[in-house]
Amino acid sequence: MIKHTTLIFAALFLTTIVLLAVAAPMLPLVDPVKMDILGRMAGPSLAHPLGQDEYGRDVLSRIAFGARASLGVALTGAILAALVGVTLGLVGAYFQGWAEQATMRPLDVILSFPPMLLALLAVTLMGPGVQTLSVILALLFAPTYARVTFGEVLTVRNQEYIEAAKALGHRPTRILARTILPNVAGPILVQFSLVVAAGIVLESGLSFLGLGVVPPTPSWGLMVRGARPFMEANPLGLIWPCVALVLTVFSINRICDAMRDLFDPKASAAVLPVSRLLAGTGIGRSRARPAAPAAFDGTLLDIRHLSTEISTPRGTIRAIDGVSLQVKPGEAVALVGESGSGKSMTGLSVMQLLPRKVGRIADGEVWYASRDGQRTDLAHVPANLFRRFRGREMAMVFQEPMASLNPVYTVGFQLIEALTAHGQMTKRDAWDGARRMLERVGIPDPERRLNEYPHQLSGGMRQRVAIAIALCGDPSLIIADEPTTALDVTIQAQILDLLEEIQAAAGIGLVFITHNLGVVAEIADRVVVMYCGQVIEEGPVDDIFHNPRHPYTRGLLASVPRPEDMAGQHKRLSSIPGTVPSPLALPPGCRFAPRCDHATSACVVAVPELEAVSANQNTRCIRWKEI
Amino acid sequence: MHYILRRCMTATATLFAVATLIFLLLHIVPGDPAEILLSGGGVAPSPESVEAMRVQLGLDRPLLEQYGSYLARIATGDLGQSFQDGFPIATEIITRLPRTLELVLAATLISVIIGLPAGLAAALKRGGALDGFLSSLASFGLSIPIFVTGTLLILLFSQTLRIVPAGGYVDFLESPAEHVIYLLMPAASIAVGLIPVVFRMVRASILEFLEKEWVRTARAKGLLERTVLIRHVIRNSLSPVVTVLGLHMGTLLGGTVLVEYVFNWPGLSGMLVRAVEQRDYPAVQGIVLVICLLFVLINLAVDLIYGILDPRVRYE
Repeated sequence: MIKHTTLIFAALFLTTIVLLAVAAPMLPLVDPVKMDILGRMAGPSLAHPLGQDEYGRDVLSRIAFGARASLGVALTGAILAALVGVTLGLVGAYFQGWAEQATMRPLDVILSFPPMLLALLAVTLMGPGVQTLSVILALLFAPTYARVTFGEVLTVRNQEYIEAAKALGHRPTRILARTILPNVAGPILVQFSLVVAAGIVLESGLSFLGLGVVPPTPSWGLMVRGARPFMEANPLGLIWPCVALVLTVFSINRICDAMRDLFDPKASAAVLPVSRLLAGTGIGRSRARPAAPAAFDGTLLDIRHLSTEISTPRGTIRAIDGVSLQVKPGEAVALVGESGSGKSMTGLSVMQLLPRKVGRIADGEVWYASRDGQRTDLAHVPANLFRRFRGREMAMVFQEPMASLNPVYTVGFQLIEALTAHGQMTKRDAWDGARRMLERVGIPDPERRLNEYPHQLSGGMRQRVAIAIALCGDPSLIIADEPTTALDVTIQAQILDLLEEIQAAAGIGLVFITHNLGVVAEIADRVVVMYCGQVIEEGPVDDIFHNPRHPYTRGLLASVPRPEDMAGQHKRLSSIPGTVPSPLALPPGCRFAPRCDHATSACVVAVPELEAVSANQNTRCIRWKEI
Repeated sequence: MHYILRRCMTATATLFAVATLIFLLLHIVPGDPAEILLSGGGVAPSPESVEAMRVQLGLDRPLLEQYGSYLARIATGDLGQSFQDGFPIATEIITRLPRTLELVLAATLISVIIGLPAGLAAALKRGGALDGFLSSLASFGLSIPIFVTGTLLILLFSQTLRIVPAGGYVDFLESPAEHVIYLLMPAASIAVGLIPVVFRMVRASILEFLEKEWVRTARAKGLLERTVLIRHVIRNSLSPVVTVLGLHMGTLLGGTVLVEYVFNWPGLSGMLVRAVEQRDYPAVQGIVLVICLLFVLINLAVDLIYGILDPRVRYE
């Protein structure tokens, strides 16, 4: 709310100041240099709405003409700087090599001067005055333009439309002017406004020192300078030019911020209206805790009708919708689906690691059997108590090992951190423990690796470290979220083997999240297929692979390349037609119906229930018997 | 080791370039330098005085020779004599420089003490009322020219409330308490512009690092939320904050000009402004050279600290 008010104010104020500056000579203002000794430091009157200064000159008139001087100098300087800087930046970034050296290096030298100093140096050589000021501004701000342009051009120069223009045989100058320039215009425009603001500040500063605009030409800086010795007798004379300066600079900066948000929505400070929505959720969740179910003896993890909501700028989406699944101790369950199916969200919901502030469990229960035999509904454990489970009872391995390890700490530090998260131990013990962990995940020369940083390891090695971190608390359940996706194919197999081996050896329950069915066959005991936030089929791995009931599962299986399909003359890989629907606009009835070959009018009436196909297999399709 | 060596070489090269640029500036400007320097006040200087000036500046010798002796001179720390009183410039700089440095350091300290927690609070309560308020305050603070802040502070605290003196300087050894009182307002004026910079940088980098995957890993380990925040968010966001802070401290070395003028602080800048007014070129040259040296040194320090904070840089 504040944001919009200030933006409107800024726009209005700036318009007024610009109009005042442009129209100053035409307005019925008193001559700004006409002195009136009798009216020295007089307060506001009808003839002089803002009062008179130390020489009896009209303050309003001097503000208006001062705006003319300030804006004039700042604009001239900004335009000059833009011409020089943008040209150098364009040339340097487009041609690179020696052109880059020739254009960008000298600018770096300018940037290594504190700006005010360079300005003073120039004043010494050229004498004070408006021309000097414009030249100084051009000199000072050309490098920033050049840098911005350089950076922007580098990001667009290798893009396809530039390649296309080159391929068409256009000359570099034409490509630069017609194709690249329009694409970098946004950031440059922002830069331009910032330079105007900085120019006003610099001009007024120099004028205040008596080294800028030469009297009697009015300037805001000079007005402050003149009024300063008389501030006791006439504080208003000081305050008016200060207010004009501050508000003008503020308005330009404010409009710049708005422009930047417009050109670069990612950098925007705009806020998701989420925190308030979620503020009340604590109340909803503190309802009577359901009693522990007795029926599921022997399950480690029992998720029941779990729903998770994510707030997005376009509305709240249900990332997972009524998901139920069970994991027994020592069992490996694969959670399969396309991107956006809710499989990762399921894992994060169990661990209470949903994106801060935007994600929350809306409904359902997550029963977990601790080592001591106690059952807890994790969905209703308050955040501050949840730490007891993370790391110790359950651990998680993530997709991208480079990103999931902190680059500024050694491998050893990050392992020891995990080892000591739930209890103190001596330095020696912790170090030994960390070394044993690395040995366990098959890292050669662990002693040396403990002292290395993540960026010094290979991708596969990093993922082994991530697995070692997960194992530190000796967990009963590991949730592995696409742990092999980011790795080379040969490394993938090694990591899979490692996970399988660890899981078998320690009797750990494993939830393996993946979109790769080939991986599933290797590691999983049971498979849960998700689509649009729902479980659409689940069962033992053999049943799912050999006897899939849901058309989506069949489609997924058919899209896995198999050697026998590739051998004959009809080399083709089938794919599922269409795309996953937006979670903001889910189809009525069966969510897969729009992409399903077998869909009938009955399919779109209601969301199908999960039906038992056999003792172990369930599917969410009303036509599973027929197809 | 390699990293440090490379940074030092870059710094030396930059210094050399700066010294050359300062030397050339006098010759790049169209017209006879001696005549320009003497033509203050619109009065044409007499040919004799121009000739005397040329000899005094060594302008009568070949350019290359001038350049050589200039480099040799500054390498030994001799910055020449002032036009105004013939005093060695280096001596006066050494007296005044610590005062300016003190001002910059005090302002930086205030800015970090206020800006860091404020930025952290705003980032953690992103989108809340506090965040909105602090962010607006920051954009406003950034919009006030430093001499306006100083002048208004004097108007408020010295003229109206009469709490602190309007300006001046007392030596620390003479009276430490008074010294600090005189330091307060100039440092605060600089801080008004620097706090928003620290605030914005801290806020932005905390927000960025909060979303990092290693933060999720740290939570998954079962670490205390406070530990996650300190070790995996704040620790990582120090690198960009230090970089920006260093850059701004360098800019401040020049930025104190206005503050020292407003508060009558006898630092380097008072000397500089007077030298500019008098067109005392050797003095201006010397001061600019020294400030640039500090500027380069600060940048070097920032690079080295960066290397300590981020191991990836060290092993590049």
